Amino acid sequence: MMVLDVLLAVQREHDPALGFRFSCRVGMCGTCTVRVDGRSVLACQTEVPDDTTRIRLDPLAGLPVVRDLVVDTGPFWRAWAQVRPYLVPDEADETGMDAEPAVIPPDSAEREVIDPALDCIGCAACFSSCGIASAHRDFLGPAALNRALVLIADSRDAASRERLDVIGGESGVDRCHYIYGCSAACPKGLDPARAIRRLRGRRFRRER
Amino acid sequence: MSADPWPEPEQLDTDVAVVGSGGAGLMCVLHAMTARPGLDVTVVSKGAVGRSGCTRMVQGGYNAVLDPDDSIELHFRDTIRGGKFLNDQDLAWTLVNDAPRVINELETRVGCFFDRRADGRIHQKAFAGQAFDRTVHRGDLTGIEIMGRLRDQMFRLGPRELEDVRALDLVRDSRGALAGVTALNVRTGTPVVIRARVVVVATGGSATMYRVAAPAREKTGDGVAMCWRAGLPMRDMEMLQFHPTGLLAGASRMTGAVLEEGLRGAGAHLYNADGERYMARYDPERRERSTRDVVARAGYLEIMAGRGTAEGGVYIDISHLGADEVEQRFPGMVARTRQIGQDLAAGPVLVSPTAHFHMGGVVIDRDCRTEVDGLLVAGEDAGGTHGANRLGGNGVAESTVFGARAGDTAAVLASERAYRTPAAAEVRASLVRAYAPLERELGPWPFDLTARLKEVMWRSVGVVRDEGALRRAVDELGELAEDVGRVAVPGPREVNFAWQEALDLVNQVTVARAMASAALWRTETRGAHARTDFPDSWDRPRYLVQRAGGGGLGDGLAGSIEAREHDVALTRLTQADLDAEERR
Repeated sequence: MMVLDVLLAVQREHDPALGFRFSCRVGMCGTCTVRVDGRSVLACQTEVPDDTTRIRLDPLAGLPVVRDLVVDTGPFWRAWAQVRPYLVPDEADETGMDAEPAVIPPDSAEREVIDPALDCIGCAACFSSCGIASAHRDFLGPAALNRALVLIADSRDAASRERLDVIGGESGVDRCHYIYGCSAACPKGLDPARAIRRLRGRRFRRER
Repeated sequence: MSADPWPEPEQLDTDVAVVGSGGAGLMCVLHAMTARPGLDVTVVSKGAVGRSGCTRMVQGGYNAVLDPDDSIELHFRDTIRGGKFLNDQDLAWTLVNDAPRVINELETRVGCFFDRRADGRIHQKAFAGQAFDRTVHRGDLTGIEIMGRLRDQMFRLGPRELEDVRALDLVRDSRGALAGVTALNVRTGTPVVIRARVVVVATGGSATMYRVAAPAREKTGDGVAMCWRAGLPMRDMEMLQFHPTGLLAGASRMTGAVLEEGLRGAGAHLYNADGERYMARYDPERRERSTRDVVARAGYLEIMAGRGTAEGGVYIDISHLGADEVEQRFPGMVARTRQIGQDLAAGPVLVSPTAHFHMGGVVIDRDCRTEVDGLLVAGEDAGGTHGANRLGGNGVAESTVFGARAGDTAAVLASERAYRTPAAAEVRASLVRAYAPLERELGPWPFDLTARLKEVMWRSVGVVRDEGALRRAVDELGELAEDVGRVAVPGPREVNFAWQEALDLVNQVTVARAMASAALWRTETRGAHARTDFPDSWDRPRYLVQRAGGGGLGDGLAGSIEAREHDVALTRLTQADLDAEERR
């Protein structure tokens, strides 16, 4: 039985007004994130051992609570938006329905950096686990920086310099204290701390 | 002041209101705002924008013709053959023609990056029911890449996002022209009246109404039911696809979650409890690589014949490829099975057919227009593209292809249509209905009724059907409709999930009644619709168009259903063409 199953049972049998969020229940939508005994996890992917009599559930840290376990993810997405999280193609490149996809071998240097950093589901478990991001210390946070690395390393993208300025700025990589809470929390096994280390190197070298 | 149970509605004007934020909804936003950058577009989403619905959950991938050795004609033929000639051939032709172009757009504009071959070009893998390996993918979690990047595009484009806002009803002006949509802010319990030049309905299907079901929770037939109440015609409502390999995880919500098609494409075997590889008896040639309808039915019949496991399932086994290979090719699926104490990489995993996708829906043309001027429908809410059975990999293709087309059409329509004022009586009727469960002190509990609905649909309108069961289902659904009309959820307006469940139920039962009634009409077996009392197929493919008749509770929930039969227009391909081709 997962934490989500417990929540559903409580809602159905005891308290229909219990507020929590979920959608896919298979770890793909990233909307059911909560803290279970302090750890930020996906409720749908976190098992409750059979002999459990009591668990403590809290909403994610660092995000305003709407009701019960439902939080306003606004601050997380505002940080995400600051790194220009979308591909910015070079003006000379054709884009759209008649443009050819880029030819990039899977073993190229850029894919070796990018591929392990993909599959982020935006669940904010890392944000909630990061003592700096969740304490509102003006930090972009692990997920946004991980996204920045993916785009900076992508040879199809033309906004890397601008992003390097953002991640090198006041709220960027220097705020990270390497406590690795983010990498321990990621339900998809990503390593945002490594992404931050890589970004630091790139910032000094001014390279993608 | 009025004594209405709702607070003063918020009013909002927008050029285009897009209901739903999955693949179809967000592609629609992208296209509308690319075609006309100044357009005011509003996304109305019951869940989190870009993070609800099923595009997000796509595992295997996206069918598109990219290889010079493949062809549009071949993809079309597979789609029609898979759909058992029930498809609207114009829609299917549009799908296969646009799919490669949308892949181009997803890569070059949206920023997706799909898996590559060694030479750096897009890799395509094998999916069941297809003559060519044409499924584009990003590992086995393709939907995360597509929806993640589409979500990122919203930061560039900046549409207005109404998150946690449930659309209620389409509303017209005093002359009967579409004026907009009513909605409910789930967080605050406040109604919203949206005036829109164009409304695009893209909420996804309704397969959650089955006991074992694959989709995300939002998929409760909202769009189809909304269109049903507005009097729009629906087709192929009996066609509900069961995916052959849903997980069985006991009482956990994980039950029904799909193990992807690519497993069968890659050579997975299916075994019954006796250890027999039973597909050899149902489709000796293609076996596990047969289409979803055939494989799901075979599994169901094995279980019904007593050759299933104690848990009511069969086994899928791909461990003969070696644990390393399975872990490397299907990491998401391996993780999913380990979560429930099984292991796809190490041995057989328990599976059951699971309700997955509704082929039926609103009648549209290739530009997503409907019978109502200003109203467009895209994605799973529309019917016709897939006929009697959808090929794996054609679902996300449909939602993005037709979402894009809806966006293009909306951009043009928005410049032609003026704002209209919703008739006060229509707005009022919509809100009276929505707030009624909150007002009642005594009545049935919605969660109990949902369980009843899932049981009726699974048992009687399920993988295999017959007249007796379908007649019982029609009666039971009629009773259920009455009970849903009496539901009471006393409690707060704010974030009240029992209330939301009650509103979902209205939509689910509306759709379920049309499905059962269409299933009774189709006295043959075709694709996903299998009748034990009519095992053969009609010579000529026919389809049923249904719409709400009069009567009932004034919301179509228990009202009569009008229906009319049509011949499928075989404009591009007939069974005879296919037979002749296969003889060559």
